[in-house]
Amino acid sequence: MLTRLGLMAALAIGTATAAIAQGETPQDGGRLIFTAGYGSSITSLDITATPHTQDEIFSKAINASLYSWDPVKAEPVLELAESVEKSEDGRTYTYKLRDATFHDGSKLTADDVIYSYNRLADPEKALPGAQQILAIEGVEEVQNGTADTISGLKKIDDMTFSITMTDLADPGWSLMSNFAPIYSKDYPEDKLASQPNGLGPFKLVNYVPGSKAEYEKFEDYYEEGKPHLDKLEIVMMGEAAARDVAFRNGEIDVNILGPVQYEAYGQEAGLQDHLLEVAEVYTRNIGFNSKVEAFQDKRVRQAINHAINSEVIISKLLKDKAYPAVSWLPTSSPAFDKEAQPYAYDPEKAKELLNEAGYGDGLSFSVTATPNESWGVPIVEAIIPMLAKVGITATVDPVEPPVLSDKIFADNFDAFIWSNVSGPNALEAMKCFYSKTPQTACNYVKFSNPEFDKLYEAAGQEADPNKRNELLKQANNLLLEEAPVWFFNYNKAVMAYQPWVHGLQPNAQELAIQDYADLWIDDSAPESRK
Amino acid sequence: MQLRFNLTLGAALVIAVLLGALTAGWIAPFDPVMDADLMSSELPPGGEYLLGTDGQGRDIWSRILYGARVSLAVGVISQIINSCIGTALGISAGYFGGWWDDLVNGLTNVMLAIPSLVFALAIMAVLGPGLASLLIALGLTNWSWTCRIARSSTLSLKSQGFVQAAKTAGFSDLNIMRTQILPNILGPVLVIGTLGIGTAILAEAALSFLGIGIKPPQPSWGNMLSDARELIRAAPWAAIFPGLAIFVTVLGFNLLGDGLRDRLDPHMRTRKA
Amino acid sequence: MSRFILRRVLQMIPTILAVVLIIFVIFSVVPGSFVSSLLAEGRNVTNAQVVSHLNEQFGLDQPLPVRLWDYLSGLVQGDLGTSYRTREPVWQTIAPRLWPSIKLALAAMVLAAGVGIPLGFLAALKPGSVFDSATMVVAVSGLSLPEFWFGLLLMYAFALQLGWLPSFGYQPGSISHVILPAIALGVSPMALLARTTRSGVLDVMNADFVRTGRAKGVSEPRLVRAHVARNVLVLVLTTMGLQIGALMGQAIVIEKLFSWPGIGSLLVDSVATRDIPVVQGTVLVIVLWFLIINMLVDIAYAVIDPRIKVG
Repeated sequence: MLTRLGLMAALAIGTATAAIAQGETPQDGGRLIFTAGYGSSITSLDITATPHTQDEIFSKAINASLYSWDPVKAEPVLELAESVEKSEDGRTYTYKLRDATFHDGSKLTADDVIYSYNRLADPEKALPGAQQILAIEGVEEVQNGTADTISGLKKIDDMTFSITMTDLADPGWSLMSNFAPIYSKDYPEDKLASQPNGLGPFKLVNYVPGSKAEYEKFEDYYEEGKPHLDKLEIVMMGEAAARDVAFRNGEIDVNILGPVQYEAYGQEAGLQDHLLEVAEVYTRNIGFNSKVEAFQDKRVRQAINHAINSEVIISKLLKDKAYPAVSWLPTSSPAFDKEAQPYAYDPEKAKELLNEAGYGDGLSFSVTATPNESWGVPIVEAIIPMLAKVGITATVDPVEPPVLSDKIFADNFDAFIWSNVSGPNALEAMKCFYSKTPQTACNYVKFSNPEFDKLYEAAGQEADPNKRNELLKQANNLLLEEAPVWFFNYNKAVMAYQPWVHGLQPNAQELAIQDYADLWIDDSAPESRK
Repeated sequence: MQLRFNLTLGAALVIAVLLGALTAGWIAPFDPVMDADLMSSELPPGGEYLLGTDGQGRDIWSRILYGARVSLAVGVISQIINSCIGTALGISAGYFGGWWDDLVNGLTNVMLAIPSLVFALAIMAVLGPGLASLLIALGLTNWSWTCRIARSSTLSLKSQGFVQAAKTAGFSDLNIMRTQILPNILGPVLVIGTLGIGTAILAEAALSFLGIGIKPPQPSWGNMLSDARELIRAAPWAAIFPGLAIFVTVLGFNLLGDGLRDRLDPHMRTRKA
Repeated sequence: MSRFILRRVLQMIPTILAVVLIIFVIFSVVPGSFVSSLLAEGRNVTNAQVVSHLNEQFGLDQPLPVRLWDYLSGLVQGDLGTSYRTREPVWQTIAPRLWPSIKLALAAMVLAAGVGIPLGFLAALKPGSVFDSATMVVAVSGLSLPEFWFGLLLMYAFALQLGWLPSFGYQPGSISHVILPAIALGVSPMALLARTTRSGVLDVMNADFVRTGRAKGVSEPRLVRAHVARNVLVLVLTTMGLQIGALMGQAIVIEKLFSWPGIGSLLVDSVATRDIPVVQGTVLVIVLWFLIINMLVDIAYAVIDPRIKVG
């Protein structure tokens, strides 16, 4: 059975953009000032060397990957290939590349793809982007040093190649990652971090470390008629309050909002009409370390879920810039059960459960937390009095972000509060509660439940997406019942944009990552943007 | 008259702040941590909540009273430690000169040159959050200014000859430093010390913001300020009142410092201002 | 004089060594590592292979003395090492940040000295006057106002309300971009300068030689010119030297707020990601800046007041 997925998928990109643009005809030209709000610097212009969203915002303009994420269809689609054919055993995919040119003028060939993935796998280079290609057959051997090249990659001719995967999962889920782009095999590697060369819609012309990057339109971009903008500027602005001033002052064109700004912008005429909201695939939670004796009892974990009034925290501290979490998978997931009910706020029930579990006269634990306003110390401060009412003494263990992950991987915590990715690939998200997943990968609470393992394994073996989702739905509901974490919220990401900006897409993976090729500005833009 | 005024107002402010800190348990209308009702968050001043409530729905007035304990300890004790270390090292270095001067100078340069926030941050990260760590982090890292000033003033005094005169008269080194030099440099030392109280309280705010100051939800003026960081438009009072508390405290200590300096200065008493 | 400079330069070496050692030791016991910072976002899971290769590549699996020795032997040859984050030579990471940092520090100092010293001087001439008290209140406000809030207030006022200046960013050669961050950064040294100047002037005015002069009937303005100004200059210069030296490292909050690409924000980002070679490198740059400024100040002492012997 041969399936043809390619062409349709490629066409879908066009319709998706049109849906957002609401039939308006894009105008060409002008300059747009985008913001990168996750810090005041970036790590590297070579995106394979970093795992940070902040860097992804800059790289997205320069690079392209084999697949890309379609925010409207909510699935990966082909980007650099025209078509793909799946073999009968469902593990080998044969791609036909599209005609595309790198910024340095060289043409995209199958060798570039093979070079790029081999480079990612090279153990000597230790590239974080390697994570994205693990499902390709032979990557593990290269990483272990037992093979020199990835056996699962085969060149057929200059424009055709095949990829063999280790499992039945669609390769698009990982190969769409912006952290695994296609580089030119002939480009000197030592220039990647300073003068990057990619297939993306914009060429880098000026980079001021710690300040901004300036780009100009790449004339030979592979999508006809794109990009629309002549110039793109991305500025690094880590402070929300400063971004707010700059946005109101018209110095920047888009602004990712925090809770306080979300509330303010929503009430102000002129600002409230230009907000783009999306339910992102992050689940904020307090993970209960199963090494703590009390947390081994399901009733204690459930009691905590009942004792905390999540809704009032979400409305008062997060200003409704979040959706209450029901279980682990976010509402947009195909495996999300719309019938499932979240834990009700019920302190009496919580006390009962604690009594049953033998913790009627108290229990205490500390929560390791970073200063983050939406999933850090302020949230723990709010739950301390709530938990005190059912006899639980919670304390904060405040840490800096790298210490949080350090403590978790060293198993040096009672509980932690964190925001973890829970999509868009539901199978991948569920892996974090599979008992064989190590704590350092993502089973941070060391959850171990035979019933869950069975469901997860079955889902992994299932080729039919509907049946797989049904299994994952059961697994997700089991998590709800087991409560390995306090289910807090799913992030609602909000981006404010100036009235003259068009073409932004509700990217549920990460709203700050936009397809710059689709962006355009209209005549109402001020002089400085022309 | 004027001198008295300095001293009186300064002492009054300082005593008021100290009293607030000591009696917080009796006069604070709410518990600063547990009386948190999110439904009454960000209420403006007035009514039940004298100075309004913060983002967590806690009474700001109560938190300022309790926070005074931490902030005063952080500001005053760390500055006393700093001033003592700085003065002792600075005077002795300027007085003796030679290898001791070189050593102290080198040490001062090291301490001055490493940005104190980074130093404090590293110490806090190692010791963990808490008052004791804060006193160490802020008390041992900011003495170099005092030391510098003390040293250069000592050098300047030494060159004026009366140290030599005292030496010839048979006074011991320690005696000369204590009676001849110390009173003459006390002015700048007090100025730096009292101004530094504010800097130390604010440094605690910066550390809180980075997640390693005082262990929340325990209040300090610093972490109240840093908590209110995003509320500048929505609830400005959450930042204004702890800010005012810092201002009043620093002003009080400065007036007191000025007043004391004037009293300690032997010449000042005879001079008509 | 040249012997003095040589001696001061030689004196820098132990200072620099001490700084390197302190930073090395502290950051080897600070919890968290570069690798754990990669995972802090909770978004990407980095696989164990990459993690162990990273540790190996950066020598993080080596014992502390070995790493320290490697670093020092590189430093002697002028090699600051390689940044964990950017994987580029540390020098390349630091170099573009230098001029913005110096520019901001100097601009802030010009403002601070231009306002602070005259204020302190005038206040001291009439101690206890309304003007004196007002200066005190201004100075104390300057020091008890968190930089972050003050910076934001400036942005609201001069960028958003009045529209006179850009609210953020760095443009090479642009004066308008530097004004707001320089004011925000300069307010605390201004306050300190005003207060030290006042106190210094008062001290000198009461010193014996001035009192003698006054007793001899020398007019106040002449006294101020002849003795006070020169003696106070020493104090003021010391304070200024320390301030300029420290400003580079103190600008952390302001640089972050105004998206100013200086050394301070690089330092904080490097600490946050435990990029130790860059932490070392930036601290070294700050130390050098500081030592050079203060050497210049010491030379200036000798010029102003020949009685202070240099060397």
